[in-house]
Amino acid sequence: MMDMTLLSIVLAVSMLLMLAMGIWVALALTGVAVLGLMLSGNDQIGLLFATSSWGASTSWSLTALPLFIWMGEVLFRTRLSEDLFKGLSPWLSGLPGKLLHVNVLSCGIFAAVSGSSAATAATIGRMTLPELKAQGYSERMAVGTLAGSGTLGLLIPPSIILIVYGVAAEVSIGRLFIAGALPGLLLMVLFMGYTMVWALLNRDELPSNTSDRVPFIVKLKALKQLLPIVALIGFVLGSIYGGLTTPTEAAALGVFGSLFLALVTGSLDRESFLGSLLGAVKSSCMIGLILVGAHFLTLAMGFLGIPGALAQWIGDMALSPVVLLMSLTLLFVVLGCFLDGISVVVLTVAVVLPMVQQANIDLLWFGIYIVLVVEMSQITPPVGFNLFVIQALTGKDILYVARAALPFFLLILFAIVLISWFPEIVTYLPTTMSQR
Amino acid sequence: MHSLREKLYLASGYLAGFCLVVIMLIILAQIVGRLFGFIVPSAEDFSGYALAGATFLGLAYTFHEGGHIRVTLLIQRCSSRVRFLQELLVLLFALVLVSYMTWHCIYMVWESYVFEEVSYGYIPVPIWIPQVPLALGMLALNLAILDSLVCVVKGRVPAYQTHENELNLEEV
Amino acid sequence: DKWHMPTPYADANLPTQIAREFAEEIKANTAGELDITVHSGASLVKHPEIPRAVKTGQVQLGEVFIGIMGNTHPVFKHDNIPFLATTFDDAEKLWAAARPEVEKQLDKDGMTLLYTVAWPAQSLYTKAPVNRLEDLSGLKMRAYSPSTSRLADLMHTTPTTVQVPDIPQAFSTGIIDAMITSPSTGVNGQAWDYLEHFTDVRAWIPKNVVVVNKRAFKRLDDKTRQIILDAAAKAESEGWKRVRVTAAEDTKTLAENGIQVAEPSAELMAELQTIGDIMIDEWKAESPDDVGAILSSYR
Ligand code: NA
Ligand code: NA
Repeated sequence: MMDMTLLSIVLAVSMLLMLAMGIWVALALTGVAVLGLMLSGNDQIGLLFATSSWGASTSWSLTALPLFIWMGEVLFRTRLSEDLFKGLSPWLSGLPGKLLHVNVLSCGIFAAVSGSSAATAATIGRMTLPELKAQGYSERMAVGTLAGSGTLGLLIPPSIILIVYGVAAEVSIGRLFIAGALPGLLLMVLFMGYTMVWALLNRDELPSNTSDRVPFIVKLKALKQLLPIVALIGFVLGSIYGGLTTPTEAAALGVFGSLFLALVTGSLDRESFLGSLLGAVKSSCMIGLILVGAHFLTLAMGFLGIPGALAQWIGDMALSPVVLLMSLTLLFVVLGCFLDGISVVVLTVAVVLPMVQQANIDLLWFGIYIVLVVEMSQITPPVGFNLFVIQALTGKDILYVARAALPFFLLILFAIVLISWFPEIVTYLPTTMSQR
Repeated sequence: MHSLREKLYLASGYLAGFCLVVIMLIILAQIVGRLFGFIVPSAEDFSGYALAGATFLGLAYTFHEGGHIRVTLLIQRCSSRVRFLQELLVLLFALVLVSYMTWHCIYMVWESYVFEEVSYGYIPVPIWIPQVPLALGMLALNLAILDSLVCVVKGRVPAYQTHENELNLEEV
Repeated sequence: DKWHMPTPYADANLPTQIAREFAEEIKANTAGELDITVHSGASLVKHPEIPRAVKTGQVQLGEVFIGIMGNTHPVFKHDNIPFLATTFDDAEKLWAAARPEVEKQLDKDGMTLLYTVAWPAQSLYTKAPVNRLEDLSGLKMRAYSPSTSRLADLMHTTPTTVQVPDIPQAFSTGIIDAMITSPSTGVNGQAWDYLEHFTDVRAWIPKNVVVVNKRAFKRLDDKTRQIILDAAAKAESEGWKRVRVTAAEDTKTLAENGIQVAEPSAELMAELQTIGDIMIDEWKAESPDDVGAILSSYR
């Protein structure tokens, strides 16, 4: 155990050093993996990298990510994002914080189409961030709400992480998806509640021009501007639930639909098409190479057995369920700082699941708990995919984004406390399902 | 000479973009196929290969454009002399690491060719063919890093850094 | 030594349980000299990459579903030819017949065969009852390989690709109406959430195979090698013994959760056997010598 601890510390410190020095995130992850494998005396490092890169970059379930990013780039080049704001603003004008809620709401809706957190943040952020900035909203809050609510992509079905967990824990994926719905809404309520409180306390960081009373007829007229975007989301959702496409394939329909919208609204030409492609390439290559590095680091961690050993160490203490959950949360948050969330689940699930079963914790409930924990890891530095996406969108350093996202990190933590206190938030909907 | 390099970077970007279009078309074909009762053979494999192509072929372009992200908060506070050394060191590290990885990616493609390895899906595709873009993309990234290194040694500001600075100025 | 063994399936599956016992047995009998870490659920190496990883010595040994090597050589296809061996006894006989050919092919690729673990027989899941082949006509059936696609064609259904995680939703939304898989997979995915009928046609009995890198294996001393071979023999016999129990239990679990479990009618089986014979002939045509040797030794 002692040299395992030492090894973990050496690796964590060297990652922080590499990142502080300005080494690109993907290369820092790869570098730490190489260091770990070297220290363990592995002599196949290069071949392992090649194999793991090939495996990581050809995964079918990942195809949705670049397509959604592309969809965001296409929509950004249409008038749709402007329309979205024009349509929503009369409705949000009564709420403290006004358009700041647009990130939470759009992410919540888009999460029903996309299974990943990074894709949600990238697609929505591409549309909302420039507009929020133009209207004079607090940048920090705009970035924070986006980072936080992007994670809804994982909790609101469909969800990649729930599929990974469902396969590993042998829990019905259909039930997991249904179980995620209420906690997803809970998070949205928490995020919006916090935004309102913040807005009441920080009036000076909001644009001050609009009047609060908007006649109902104006609201109704504004809805017309939401039509194209509602039609787009409805088209994709409809094809999923109407049996036309699987969630994994929905992204292709999303791109197709937005290209079509861009065409009919007259904003699609050769230049904007190529521009959207290059923009998508830039973001998805960045994420892709980080995923390759993260996958290689996961492989190195598998060989070294660090995450498993840490989990085992917690398991050996024979804790009560409450303390066990608290310790696991701490473990996952710490691991989630250095590894991406899905890797954390993959690396620890074999050790953690038996512990959880022994403590009589419901595996379905634990799946939603895991998602919330993984959501937190998306916004903790240095390795957090929502941070990377938002840095690419805004040029803001990931540490800045992480600080802006901190309140939302704490809100997700609070949601974990709530679902532990009231497990029915998770289990209610799935039980109604099994009684059919 | 200079504009030829720019054209090559752009070509890297468009090649990756082409792969994105291919992914979309394959998946759309699969959806349409399901409607009309035909199967697109190995659709899963082919879109996966196109994804690898999209990721790796675009690496050089993304690097050149400052798309690969890093923590800039600390290094931006350094004096220009320290900053010069820092970029030099970082680029040297990147060059060594990526060269090593590129070599092994090429080796993997060669091994796939020698082993006559085929995919396990519908259509048995010789696996070295879709692996070529991976090796090529890594090689191109290598050249892009080398290009930037030469740039720094000559005392100029590398392209990725210019783009990083632009983004930051724009957002202040 | 410390060895690493990636396996494709999660811990609750029989093959992974056997792999863990296999590793423990070797550790105990070598007094800790050879310590094999089992990485379940494709957590170390993704499933399609496992043969490659073993072959090139990135890991010393690993477990693979034989079916995914079908494109490498026709002998691996013995594992999923429908209606060739439909009882566990027949499947054991078929494996005895195919083993020398499979070992030969693996050896060519630098791998040594250690043991196999069978899955329960692959049977028919549908939303409506099936008494004759006609009942399936025009339905959309899940296909994931050339042979399942061919089978779907011959059964007059439309082959449809859906990835494993998408299956529940695909059934609920009507993307597929039928699939052929084992009772264990049905239990793991809680099939009762989205379909009603299980017709136990026992189309074929697929297996996982555990292989070790030839060079890594040769480098061991004779004694350790024998310990591994003994543990492998034990794992193989345990596997065949316990899969029979698993199959019965899982089928019972399906019924307990409200799925209508039915034995196929004689008419349906006769129709399916005709389809099976066509596919056996087609398989034989792929490689008359090797496949012919397996078939004549089996029959
Ligand atoms: Na989602
Ligand atoms: Na993190």
